[in-house]
Amino acid sequence: MKKSHTLALYADMDEAANALRELKSSGMSGFRMEDVVVKSPIDHPELSELLGPRPVYIQWFTLLGVLLGPTTGLVLIASAQASFIYQVRGGRPVVPLPPDMVLTYELFILSGVLMTVLATFVAMKLPGNRSPLYNASVSEDKIGILVKADPQSIPQINEILGRHKPLEIMGDQAR
Amino acid sequence: MSHSVHSHPQLDVQVERKFIPKQKDLGADVTWAKINKDVLRSLEKPRPVFWVIFFSALALFSFGVYCEVYQYQNGMGVADLNNPQVWGLYIATFIFWIGMGHSGTLLSALLHIIHADWRKPIYRYSEAMTTFTLLTAALFVLVHMGRLWQFYYVVAYPNERWTWPNFTSPLVWDATAIGTYLTSSLLFLYMGMIPDLAICRDNARGARRALYRFLSMGWQGTDRQWANFKVAYMTMACFLMPLAVSVHSIVSTDFAVSQNPGWHVTSFPPYFVLGALYSGCSGIITLFIVLRYVFRFEAYMTQPILNKLIKMTFAIAMVWTYLDLIEYATTWYGSDEVAKADLIYRATGDYALQFWGMIFCAMVMPFTLLIRFVRHNYVVLLIISLILNVGMWLERFQIITPTFAKSHYPWTWTAGWWPSWVQWGIVAGSFGWFTMLFMLYCKIFPSVSMYEVKEMVHEQNMEEKALAAQTDVHEAGLVPEMKGGQA
Amino acid sequence: MSLSNLIQNWNSFRTRRPYEGQYDDAPYKWAMVIDLDACIGCNACTVACYAENNLPVVGKERFGKGQAMHWIRIERYWGEGDAMTSEFPDHGAQYLPMLCQQCEAAPCEPVCPVGATHHSPDGLNTQVYNRCVGSRYCSANCPYKVRYFNWWNYPDRAWPNPLELQLNPDVTVRSKGVMEKCTFCMQRLRAGMDKAKTEGRILADGEVLTACAQACPTSAITFGNLADKKSKVARMWKNQQVDLAKDSQEKSEEGIRGYRILEELNTYPSIVYLERVRNLEA
Repeated sequence: MKKSHTLALYADMDEAANALRELKSSGMSGFRMEDVVVKSPIDHPELSELLGPRPVYIQWFTLLGVLLGPTTGLVLIASAQASFIYQVRGGRPVVPLPPDMVLTYELFILSGVLMTVLATFVAMKLPGNRSPLYNASVSEDKIGILVKADPQSIPQINEILGRHKPLEIMGDQAR
Repeated sequence: MSHSVHSHPQLDVQVERKFIPKQKDLGADVTWAKINKDVLRSLEKPRPVFWVIFFSALALFSFGVYCEVYQYQNGMGVADLNNPQVWGLYIATFIFWIGMGHSGTLLSALLHIIHADWRKPIYRYSEAMTTFTLLTAALFVLVHMGRLWQFYYVVAYPNERWTWPNFTSPLVWDATAIGTYLTSSLLFLYMGMIPDLAICRDNARGARRALYRFLSMGWQGTDRQWANFKVAYMTMACFLMPLAVSVHSIVSTDFAVSQNPGWHVTSFPPYFVLGALYSGCSGIITLFIVLRYVFRFEAYMTQPILNKLIKMTFAIAMVWTYLDLIEYATTWYGSDEVAKADLIYRATGDYALQFWGMIFCAMVMPFTLLIRFVRHNYVVLLIISLILNVGMWLERFQIITPTFAKSHYPWTWTAGWWPSWVQWGIVAGSFGWFTMLFMLYCKIFPSVSMYEVKEMVHEQNMEEKALAAQTDVHEAGLVPEMKGGQA
Repeated sequence: MSLSNLIQNWNSFRTRRPYEGQYDDAPYKWAMVIDLDACIGCNACTVACYAENNLPVVGKERFGKGQAMHWIRIERYWGEGDAMTSEFPDHGAQYLPMLCQQCEAAPCEPVCPVGATHHSPDGLNTQVYNRCVGSRYCSANCPYKVRYFNWWNYPDRAWPNPLELQLNPDVTVRSKGVMEKCTFCMQRLRAGMDKAKTEGRILADGEVLTACAQACPTSAITFGNLADKKSKVARMWKNQQVDLAKDSQEKSEEGIRGYRILEELNTYPSIVYLERVRNLEA
């Protein structure tokens, strides 16, 4: 079944928190807490607790980066040195390990950073994660609560959201 | 405290637990909407002073480009470099610029990791400073090359001849480290800017809107985005700080790995890193005052924040002074006679003026930061922060030049070498290039982090709310008074 | 491909040089002995080098700026202490021909960012002009300062017509922005070694000389193959009790004059200098 959306804007974190709390305890059918999205100008640890677990997987990508980057880097560097017409320099070994460690360290950081950035974009579904309802004021000073639910539950949800002094309620079925 | 009270009952001093109000970093009138308004205003039509700075920088840069073209066409000889003096101002200024960048990372990464919130209004432009100083430093790598047109030999790229860069050379470490640092700090800067770019997108029109729409990549400030963003940003910060330390350590190996007297010093990596942070911090103070004036950021770049920045600068200056002094001490009491002679030559020889100038500017002048008048008078502070950086530039000059003038081999001892106008022109041009890029950045991107200042305001409000609640409870007499012994 | 190469030859890739007996099985190891007692400071070696190796004459002004290109230079020193204060301080004057020491553990080699300078199997410190990008780190790290940089584009003006006709066709004319230095007359060695290889032998002692050794009127410069134990240069090294792979030499008795310059920096040079004998009473 196609779902409907509704977005309520609040001027205050506390009011948004109350609205979320009531939504959570309402136990309505046709709506899950995972489908609630809070849009806000800043990070909000106090609201996140109400929203339930929102797992982050970025660190696994980072781990992959810091493991693969330096090992492949060191092997590539050492084999490049070995293949470069047997160049002896300054009496040092052709494949000297301490200097190679310097570059390995830099590659460790570089691959870690790149994998983190990549993972972030994957996890945040950027670029182009446009959700159906957006209001520019959530980037200024308002807190938005976006709910996705079955169309028949929307009026009830709008009513709950409306009880906590929203500035505005938007969506297909908004009055 | 309680002991003294008990052991001396005659001193019946009533110890009153008073709440000492912390000086707030931001004023009470700063609201979320005001932050948006003020910062977005900095992106609008510039004030005349902006154009003055921008076009003077452009003029300097153009002169630098002229000098470089002249050198490119005629050969490095126009710089008056010669056999022992092979590097001159180019490498000295290279170290200077690359050092300038480190404090941006200190503010944006290290202070983020340890949750020092006062960094929030000033870290964005410091981070941008990092990026542009690295770009400037990279210019010097190219400028000092005899065959600029073959610069790509230093890059490791697969080719049919199986030739590679020499991975044991500190210059290749440099290139890799700068490349890594530039990439990482650019991504770090960009990533931290995404929520702010979304704000710009929501408020801009026309071509700018298209640009911000592209760059903000659909950021909507959803809770999932914030959760991922926080983890990713912290992870990046944890990579950036050790990276910054490694970059200037690697730059120091350009010298510490070689065996010239005055360079072959074990303490060079920490000495360079601290020198980098030092000059970077005074650079941040300079830009603090300039941006505050040019963009009217008085509400965000406040005196309490400046005080903390100055305290940090002073502490770093003292650590740098210590490391500089132990470098001399280890040389003085060491067994390397050549290095000792080089040290004496630095202090008394042809470049004694530069040496003592460095001692004065970089070691003595930081003590003026202890004076309250200096911290509160922005003109004086601006001049002092510039003097500190002159001192740090002189430090780099006197690391390189006297060592070449008096190294191991007596026949090559030269006196009174001085760089030509071409070198000075390129050095001046680099300052123009940096200022130009930085001013452009400030007009295109928000130079104060809006969302993080909002977090600051939010936290201040929460604190105040909690404090008010506590006072209410106290007044109602619901909580027993704290015992003095626990103080 | 290169990975299997890496694994197969791991041991040889991990060897430090120089080590005792490194050139025992090698056909060549070029080395030199310079007798300072025989050197009269006539500069014939320098002139010969300029002619042989297409060195540009830079002119008075650029020489004064320290941009000269002499691969071998005669350094003049005055005696110190008593010699200077005596009635005839000129007696203390002495000369030292300085050229690239072809160090076995050359400080210039590991610091080159592009690998333009490295060690050849016959013990020479080579410089590849095509590869050089001109970072000048090698010169900065050379304790002897015997590397010369092309600060200007010398082919423009150094050999006005018809002087370019006297250039040695076997030697590259270097353009601006590259580093250069003494090659031990690599072009002569290369031609000689190729010829000998064709004939199925190794070069005889004295068959190939560097331009400086050839031009020296007092035979102060002896050049030869150190790997050939019977060559003159190898015998001189042995008599002077200088060991290529040691960084400090123990002499069995006083009066043995052989030494290597700045040996304490662990550069292991290939040139032995014989100290000047001085009459301190004179």
